[in-house]
Amino acid sequence: MTEDPDAPASEPAGASDGARSARYSSTRTPASVALEAARASQPPAPDSEPAVTLESLKVSFGGHVAVRNVTLELPARQVTALVGPSGCGKTTVLRAINRLHDHTGGRVEGTVRLGDIDVYAPDTDPELVRARVGMVFQRPNPFPTMSILDNVTSGLRFNGVRNRALLREAAEAALRHAALWDIVKDRLNQTALRLSGGQQQRLCIARALAIEPDVLLMDEPCSALDPVATAKIEDLIAHLATEVTIVLVTHNMFQAARVSDNAAVFLLDEDRVGELVEVGPTVEIFDSPRHERTKQYVTGHVG
Amino acid sequence: MTALSGAASLDSLKETLRHRHDRRGGRAYVLARWAAAGLFVAVLLGLVVSIAIDSSQAIAHSGIGFLWSGTWNPAANQYGAGILVVGTVVTTGVAMVIVVPVGLGMAAFLSELAPRWLAGPLSMAIDLLAAVPSIVVGLWALLVLSPVFANHVEPFFKSIPVLEWLFHGPAYGPSILLASVVLAVMTLPTVVALSRTALSGVALADREAAMALGATHWQVIREVVFPGARSGIAASLTLAVGRALGESIAVAMVIGNNPSVPHSLVAPGATLGSAIVNQFAEASPGIGTSSVIALAAVLLVLTLAVNAGGQAMLRGMGPGRPARVRKTRVAQ
Amino acid sequence: MSRAGDSVAVPAAAGDLDESQAQLGWAARERRRPIIQAAARRTLRRRRLAGKLVQALCVLCAAIGLAPLVALVYYTADRGLPGISLSFLTNAPVPEGVPGGGISTAIAGSAEIVGLALVMAIPVGLLAALFLHERRGRLAAGIRFGADMLTGVPSIVIGIFAYALLVRPLHHFSDLAASFALAVLMLPIMIRADEEAMRTVAMDLWEAGVALGARRSRVARSVVLRGALPGLVTGNLLAVSRGVGETAPLLFTVAAPSFAMTLLIYTDGTQPFPSDQQTAWATALVLLMFVLILSGLARVVAWRLTRRAR
Repeated sequence: MTEDPDAPASEPAGASDGARSARYSSTRTPASVALEAARASQPPAPDSEPAVTLESLKVSFGGHVAVRNVTLELPARQVTALVGPSGCGKTTVLRAINRLHDHTGGRVEGTVRLGDIDVYAPDTDPELVRARVGMVFQRPNPFPTMSILDNVTSGLRFNGVRNRALLREAAEAALRHAALWDIVKDRLNQTALRLSGGQQQRLCIARALAIEPDVLLMDEPCSALDPVATAKIEDLIAHLATEVTIVLVTHNMFQAARVSDNAAVFLLDEDRVGELVEVGPTVEIFDSPRHERTKQYVTGHVG
Repeated sequence: MTALSGAASLDSLKETLRHRHDRRGGRAYVLARWAAAGLFVAVLLGLVVSIAIDSSQAIAHSGIGFLWSGTWNPAANQYGAGILVVGTVVTTGVAMVIVVPVGLGMAAFLSELAPRWLAGPLSMAIDLLAAVPSIVVGLWALLVLSPVFANHVEPFFKSIPVLEWLFHGPAYGPSILLASVVLAVMTLPTVVALSRTALSGVALADREAAMALGATHWQVIREVVFPGARSGIAASLTLAVGRALGESIAVAMVIGNNPSVPHSLVAPGATLGSAIVNQFAEASPGIGTSSVIALAAVLLVLTLAVNAGGQAMLRGMGPGRPARVRKTRVAQ
Repeated sequence: MSRAGDSVAVPAAAGDLDESQAQLGWAARERRRPIIQAAARRTLRRRRLAGKLVQALCVLCAAIGLAPLVALVYYTADRGLPGISLSFLTNAPVPEGVPGGGISTAIAGSAEIVGLALVMAIPVGLLAALFLHERRGRLAAGIRFGADMLTGVPSIVIGIFAYALLVRPLHHFSDLAASFALAVLMLPIMIRADEEAMRTVAMDLWEAGVALGARRSRVARSVVLRGALPGLVTGNLLAVSRGVGETAPLLFTVAAPSFAMTLLIYTDGTQPFPSDQQTAWATALVLLMFVLILSGLARVVAWRLTRRAR
C-alpha cells in the first residue's frame, strides 16, 4: 500500500469554478462573497483526479440489500451532495467510504478507492483509511468526558501524534477553520457539553479536520440544529471545500442547492433497494435532469 | 346515572366509576397500606435504636475510645474495635486489589469483546455466583481452598523475594489473604454486572466518532468507553466495598480469629464481622455481649456510609452528565 | 507559544472566515498532513498489539472470574454427592457415632423458619410497595431511601437486631426470632422489587392508553397488580433465594444448629471430624441446588415476562 504525499497542486490562478458562481444561493452573506473572492485567487483548484471513486458498490445487511450498483466519482475539493428520500442508501454509501460497516455487520461488495488506495483490499488497514477521512455525524457527538481541546486533538492523539506544539497548532487551525476559535479559545479546558448544539457540531467538524483528512464525510450534519446554526455550518462547508473534498448527505434539497457543486440522487428501485439514479453538477440536476425520476424527485422538492 | 352530555359529563362518569372501584375495600386497604409503611419505618428505627441501646453498656465501660482502641481481649476485660476495623479495612482492601482488575477485565470482555452467544450465558453464570449462599462459599474456602493455600499458594508468594515483607511468617491456611480471596469471590458479581451495564451504556455515537478518527478497537474502549462508564463503575466498586465490609460468616470461617495487628497477609486476623461471629457465643453476658453488639453498631455505621455513597453514585449514573474534566494534558 | 517551522504570524483580530487565514491554513496543512499520516502508520502496529494484549488479559480475567463458580459447584457436588441419599434427607439426626442419621430436622426447620419469614415479609412488602407506588411526597421518598439503605445492612447486624429485640428480653432462642431476622432481611428487597414491577406495568399501561386518559397514578390498582404479577413473583423469588441461604441472622436466634440447614453447615463444617464435614458438604449441596433452582426459576419467569410484554 503506497501513497503519494499530497503536493499542493499548481493550477493557474483565477481558475474559478463556473458551476459554483452560478449555483443557487438564496443568501449572499458577506462571508460567502469573500469566500468566492478567496477562491478566485486560491492556488489549489480542483484536481483532475477524483478524491473518491466508487465502483459497483453494493452494501447488504444480513440477507437484505440496502443499496447496489453505485458507481460514482467524487471530485476532489468539491462538495458533492448525496440526496434522496430517507432509506435510499445515502448514509450507507457514506459509511462505506470509511469502512464504518466493519462494525455494523454490513457486507460491502464492489470497490471503493481513496485516491489510488483500494479501501477494502485485504492488506489495507481500516484505521489508516479512517485517519485520512473525517466524519461528522447527524447529531453532534463531542466526547463527553474530554475537554474542548482534548476533543479537537483526540484524532491526532489516537494516531500517535505526541508533539505538543503540533497538537496545539493543529487544534487552533482546526478551530479557526470551524469558526470556533474565538468562541472557545479562553475555555479550552472546559467540558464540550456546555456549548450550544451548533457549536458542538462545529467542534465535531474541527475534530474531524484536525487530522488533516483528504475527504470529509458529513451525514446530515444540520438535521439536529436550528436554522441559524445551520446557516453557519453551510457557510463553513463552502469555505472548507477549498481545501477538503466534502461528501454531504442531506435530505434537504435547498441545502444541496445552496452548498454543493455536484449532486448524486439516490432513490429506491422496484425491489425497494437503493440505487444511484443520476449524478452531475448540481445546477444540471436541478435545471435539466436527464432522468425522469430525478426530475420528479427534484420538482417535488424544489419550487 | 346522569345522561351523558359533553366531555364534562364523560369525565365525571369516569371519575365516579373510578371512585367506586377504589372504594371497594377502601378503608381497610388504606389502613393496611399505612400499617405496612408504618411497620417498615418501625423496623428501620428499631434496628438503630435497639443496637444503640444494647451497645451503650459497652461504651459506658470502655468509653468512646472503644472505637479506636487497639485491644480486643475479653479475658482481660479489654474491648476495643480499633484492631477489628483495621482488619476489616485490610481484608476489604486486598479483596478490592483482586476484584478491580479481574472484575473490570471481565466486564470489558462481556461488554466489548465477547460474541453475543458467549456474553449472555457468561453473564448469567456470574449472576449465579452471586446467588451462592455465603456459607457454601465459606465451607468451600475452609475445606478446599485453605489446604491449597497452605501448601501451594502461600509458599509461592513467600518465595517471591520482592513480596517477602508482605507474606512472611508461618502459613497454615487460615489467613487474611484467604479471607480477602473469599471476599473477592463474593463481591465479583456485583462489580462485573454493574460495570458491564455501565460499559454497554456508552453511546454508539461516541464510539463511532472515535472509530472514524482512526482509533483501534482498544483505543475506542480505553479513551471513550471506559471514561464514559466512570460513574457506573465507581458505583459498582463502592457497592462491592459495602458488601465486603459486612460479610461475616464466610470470613469468620477462614480468617483464623486472631484480633491482633496484622503483620503479614498470611497471618490470621480478624474483622468486625468475623469477631461478631466468633466472639458472640463465648462473650460474657453484660459487658462482653454488649461489646459485641457495639461492634455491630460500628459495622452498621460503616456500611451505611459506604452504601449511601454507592447508591448516590448509582442514581447519578444517567447519561449526558458533564464529567469533571481534568486540565488539558496535551500529549506526553 | 512557538510554532515549529511556521514563519508567518497569525493576524490577531481576524474574523474566523478571513480568506487570508484560509490561505495560510493551506500551507500549514500541507506541512502537517504527512507528519500525521506518518505517525498513524508508524504507531498502528503498536496500537493494535496493545489491543491484542489487553484483549488476552480480559479473556484471562473472564476465565478467572468464572473459575470460582465452577470450582464451587464442582467441589460441592463432588464431596456432597456421596453423602446424599433418601435416608439422609428423610431421617432425623442421631447421636455421635450412630450411623444412619439425616438432616430432615434441618430441612424442616429451615422450611419453617423461611416459611414464617415469608408470611411476615410478603404482605408487608407488597402493601408497602403499593404505598410507595400510589403516594408521592416526602414520606414515600424517605421510605424508599430507607429500603435502599436497609438492603445494604449486613445480615449479621440484622441478626444482632433480632437478638436484641426478641431473644434477649425473652431469654430464649426461638424460631420466631430467626424468622423475624430473615423477614427484615428480605423486606427491603421485596419492597423495591415490587415497586419496580408495578411502576413498569403502570407506565406501560399508561403509554398504551389502556387507562382511558387516566393519569398514571390513577391506573386501577387491580389492573396494575394483575399485570405486575410476573415481576412480583420474580422479585419475591429472588428475595427468598437470598433469605434461604443466610446464616448470620440465624446464629443468634435459632435454638440449635440442627434446626436450620445453613447453621448445620456452619457447625458441622467447622468441626475437625470427616463425618461431620461430610454432612456439611451434603447439606451444602442440597442448599446450593435449592438456591440455584430458585434463582433459575425467577430468571425463567422474568424471561417469560419480557417475552410476553414485548
